[in-house]
Amino acid sequence: MKIEINNLHFTYPGEIIALSGINLSIESGEKVAIVGQNGSGKTTLVKHFNGLLLPTNGTIRIGDWDTKDHSVAELASRVGYVFQNPDEQLFNSDVKSELGFGPRNLGYDDDRTEELVEDAIELTGLDNYRDTNPYDLSPTWRKMVALGSIIALDSPIVVFDEPTTGQDAQSVEVIARIADELHSRGKTLITISHDIDFCAENFERIIAMSEGEILLDGSVLEVIAQEESLATTFVDPPQLTRLGKELGFDQTVNDQASFLGAYRLSHEQN
Amino acid sequence: MHQKLSFYVDRDSFLHHLNPLTKLTLVLTLVILSFLGLSYWLPTIIFLFIIIPLSFLGKVAQEFFNATVKLLLPVVGFLFVMQAFFHPDGTQVIFSIWIFDVTVESLSFAYLTASRILTMVASFLILLLTTHPSDLMSDLTRRGVSGNLSYVITSTLQIIPQMQVKAGTIIDAQQSRGLETTGNVFNRVKAVVPLVGPLVFGSLVEVEERAIAIEARAFTAPLKKTSLREIPDRAAERAARWIFIGVIIIAIGLRIWLL
Repeated sequence: MKIEINNLHFTYPGEIIALSGINLSIESGEKVAIVGQNGSGKTTLVKHFNGLLLPTNGTIRIGDWDTKDHSVAELASRVGYVFQNPDEQLFNSDVKSELGFGPRNLGYDDDRTEELVEDAIELTGLDNYRDTNPYDLSPTWRKMVALGSIIALDSPIVVFDEPTTGQDAQSVEVIARIADELHSRGKTLITISHDIDFCAENFERIIAMSEGEILLDGSVLEVIAQEESLATTFVDPPQLTRLGKELGFDQTVNDQASFLGAYRLSHEQN
Repeated sequence: MHQKLSFYVDRDSFLHHLNPLTKLTLVLTLVILSFLGLSYWLPTIIFLFIIIPLSFLGKVAQEFFNATVKLLLPVVGFLFVMQAFFHPDGTQVIFSIWIFDVTVESLSFAYLTASRILTMVASFLILLLTTHPSDLMSDLTRRGVSGNLSYVITSTLQIIPQMQVKAGTIIDAQQSRGLETTGNVFNRVKAVVPLVGPLVFGSLVEVEERAIAIEARAFTAPLKKTSLREIPDRAAERAARWIFIGVIIIAIGLRIWLL
């Protein structure tokens, strides 16, 4: 499902301009990371995707729907939004009913709900906790419950708000694996993150924002090579990219595989 | 994103620069004067000729009038009606509705009560509009008011806007999971548990975190604490406070001996 944004402006009450003239289109099945300093408008932008915020000016369309014409709850069938803090949404007494909350809201019948919940449990690895109260789980697992509760919506577009904040290496890996799986099912994935290493390793397209405008928009390698532009919105290129540059590699690298590839290449040349 | 923590309006004025205790003493003086009953018109005079000019002096006149109207109009209106109809002794009947007589005495009593309440609330409004709550509290704590008391007052002032922000996020998160929170009564009732649940759980967790956080800053340490906020207190203000106290004593004396 395509996301199309036309000349989007958004001003918060009190004349605080958060977005000024965003033009953007995201095709079905893309993996997009949005980066930028605090206050650059990342969150304001993605909150438009499921109608939590409505444009002051301009339009945003999700498939054939203009977000202005549909409630957030209706848009949930198209755009799943994973909030940063799981504690601001969990309320059921066990994981299973927590995951079933979304599908039931969307009006799916018991069989379909059961199917979606089981799928989300499998993806997030919550198998042993299906009857546990979410508040008895560690924060890491509570985040998985929140993630699972959006996966269970089975929406074609999934937005992650800072998925890796406060997570250890192991659970970052789990999140990356979940993202891969959703991607292979043809879903559009969008994340906002300060974790540029995570974005560079797991996403295909990066949008850098600064002061309510799009600063850079392109493939991962194109964007992370622009060290100077990124610096204006206080984003450092990934550590491996910087190391590669210091070592004088010819091409930009974004993950271990490409780093090792470039490293071998430069050794052979010498 | 921008929530008001209190009535406080950040401006640069003479009143804003006064020590909080000076303003508090002034307010108490005005309130005591209007409640002592030295003169029928005294509360009105205080309101018109002291409080209103003070609101201009503090550069908060507009906020002051807005808040006064919003807060007081319903109260004063209600009071007028109740007193007018139910005041026990009155002889000069102006008009009657069913078994109720509206008398001159009842109206004048209603006016007196209304003007006293107006003066009391309005003078506290001036204090709140021109004094940051933490300034008031740290000044009082420095002068020996219990830290527990000032913590309870300041945290109460802050907790409401914080809860509002939190409630907003919870509504967003649950709507994003397909929950309809608007529309018919059925939708709204169904939405109560998913909205209130996380708010209550979250607040309980927060209480513990707050307790740990303030204890980490040695809240209960039995020592005299210093404050990061420098609150100026001039000799002239100390003198002014003694004058206010003098006025109160004289007024009470007049009330006892003369009336």
